[in-house]
Amino acid sequence: MKRWVGLSILTGVAVLALAALLASSGLVAAQGAKLVIAAVAGNESLGLKAVAPMYEREHGVKLDIVEMPYPTLYEKLVTTFQAGAPTYDLVMLDDPWMPKFGTEEWLTPLDSTYGFKRDRDIPNVIYEVGTWPPPRGPVPPSEKAKPKHLLGITVVGNVEMFMYRKDLSPAPKSWDEVLTNAKKFNKPGSMAGYVVRGAATNPIVADFLPILWSFGGDVFDANWNVVIDSPASLRAVKFLVQDLKGVAPSGSENIDAADRSRLMAIGQAYQSTVWPGEVTGIVENPKVSKVIGKVGFIPMPAGPSGKGYGMMGNWLLAIPKASKNGGAAAAFITWVTSPKVQKTYAEAGGIPARKSILNDPAMNKANPYFSALAKSLEAVPNWRPRTDQWNAVETILGTNLNATLAGLSTPEEATKKAATEIRALMKKAGY
Amino acid sequence: MESASGSGLQAESASPDRRKRGHGFESRQERLAYAILLPVLGTVFVVVTYPLLFAVGQSLRATRGGDFVGLQNYASALENPLLYDALGATGIYAGIVLPTEILAGLGLALLVHRTVRSPRARLALYVFATIPIVIPPVAVGVIARLIYAPGYGVLNHLLMLAGVVQAEIPWLSRRDTAMLAVSSVDVWQWTPFVYLVFFAGLQTVPRESIDAAQVDGATGWTMFSRIELPYLRPLFLMVLFWRIADVLRVFDHIFILTGGGPGSTTQLLSVYLYRVAFKFFDTGEAAALAVMVMLAMSLLYAAATRLLPLERD
Repeated sequence: MKRWVGLSILTGVAVLALAALLASSGLVAAQGAKLVIAAVAGNESLGLKAVAPMYEREHGVKLDIVEMPYPTLYEKLVTTFQAGAPTYDLVMLDDPWMPKFGTEEWLTPLDSTYGFKRDRDIPNVIYEVGTWPPPRGPVPPSEKAKPKHLLGITVVGNVEMFMYRKDLSPAPKSWDEVLTNAKKFNKPGSMAGYVVRGAATNPIVADFLPILWSFGGDVFDANWNVVIDSPASLRAVKFLVQDLKGVAPSGSENIDAADRSRLMAIGQAYQSTVWPGEVTGIVENPKVSKVIGKVGFIPMPAGPSGKGYGMMGNWLLAIPKASKNGGAAAAFITWVTSPKVQKTYAEAGGIPARKSILNDPAMNKANPYFSALAKSLEAVPNWRPRTDQWNAVETILGTNLNATLAGLSTPEEATKKAATEIRALMKKAGY
Repeated sequence: MESASGSGLQAESASPDRRKRGHGFESRQERLAYAILLPVLGTVFVVVTYPLLFAVGQSLRATRGGDFVGLQNYASALENPLLYDALGATGIYAGIVLPTEILAGLGLALLVHRTVRSPRARLALYVFATIPIVIPPVAVGVIARLIYAPGYGVLNHLLMLAGVVQAEIPWLSRRDTAMLAVSSVDVWQWTPFVYLVFFAGLQTVPRESIDAAQVDGATGWTMFSRIELPYLRPLFLMVLFWRIADVLRVFDHIFILTGGGPGSTTQLLSVYLYRVAFKFFDTGEAAALAVMVMLAMSLLYAAATRLLPLERD
């Protein structure tokens, strides 16, 4: 009897040890395991949620998608990574977060660890935005010596675009035409000529950067010098807070993306910038929109610089270094970005990045913004400055832009104050 | 006598034994008390003492690299002009909400105490007063946004319907109205708490004192200032500190309503601290700010408890 007990204990220990070994190697995750994915709550995770049951059926791996609101997700990820906790096997991250996560070396390289290769059906810019240190543009001083690695693959091909009422006028080609049309169609109380997404911090900065770049301005130059107070940048600020505000609804200082799309959807706005998620969720959603088929989607209009700049807002899938299911997580990324799955993903409301899907006529019929998104990606949109200080820079810039939009300071005062604060911040961060 | 004397001797001789036994008994009692307290003390250590010590440690270390930097984070926090903007905003907010809530809460408590006699009516008022307190601040913020938001805000709609205004008032976009809007939410949510505290305090005033004052022909004000106020004095201090602590913590509804804007008009100390910690990720400076706020509150409390009499005259 004692021998049986002893043998049973020995067998149990051996089984547990083997299970632990397999689990640590990631092999067991392929069958009967679970992947925990940190995702942003909202339209951006629609596609992911839609294909999750498919993956479970095909591969026997359960996907636990933990959704969090945008600001909470960032804080949660940073604190989780700082603690080195293996809470998430996969994370959805907004592309401006890459500098922070890349600098801190919190993510597993997908190329050197899992052999990810480029796919010609996916625009190059998608791989560039997932690479750290950045393959083009200024590189933070602390990152210059580091080897470049692919740390994330786009799962939501967001690029900021422009929308206008195509039933009322042709598409504007430049920001001058945007203003001309705005003045023409602006009828206070019934239709706003242009909607400024002017809420403090991230919203107003997202609305402003494409205008800033199109006007030849920028936040930093190629050597990380702050140029937000340059004459070109100041011209862009004045265009937003004086010209466009003059044809915008009251309370612009508090309007965020959902308010802007709502105004468009109920026919009380003529034009504005737009993210793809707003198109599927509100503007082209038959349940809430009165303007189905009446709205045109185009890449960003050109500014005095002669070029229009869309802004990257891709959501990437990445594998935290602390994940214990890295192999299974990499297998999921490969599966979810494959052409076959991306089609199902897009049909379910996901925002794809594959050229073949974005240019598919049938898909364009159901998703009228796909062609504009393909063109925006082809034109190589700008990304937000690749510094791990971006969140702080955005907060400073967004607070000062919001103040001048509200008339609490002049554009000159706002740009000067923002520049001074950003310079102090960057100096403290070693730039 | 003998007996008495004998008893006395017995008592004296028995006393050391009893003390000895008693000492042992007390030790067991003490041990039991400590054993019972241990989980509580352990929990307090884990959720209060350790984080506090950790925050103090963090405030003395560099955010990047974690090197010991002495008081550098404190100096850097105090040099930042945004801190003084936030302190100013917090002062204005406190200047609006604290007097309003205390005066309105006290007024309501007196009114109900003196005019409502039915226990059922008092119970109903108690339930109504509890509702705002138990609603999560996030939900309160969302409701307030539906009231004040540009475009679809209920308040503008009602004002325009009543013909009071012809065009929308951008409540959340102007410096003065934005601060009033965020303050109004606080007043709505926390005046009932002040009312409940003072109402409970008024129940402790002895009926005989009131009857005697009435016989002597005391007026309403005399009754309040001479009879009721002394019973409420300790509660004033409690309410004041509770509310000041809440004003320093207030976050949710401001974040939802204005995000600290326009500009940094409604960026109160808590919102500013959040930004330093979770937008700038400057954990050293954020910890230094948190420690300074805690010290300031402790000093303020110590000063107030000395200056304001806690006991009735």
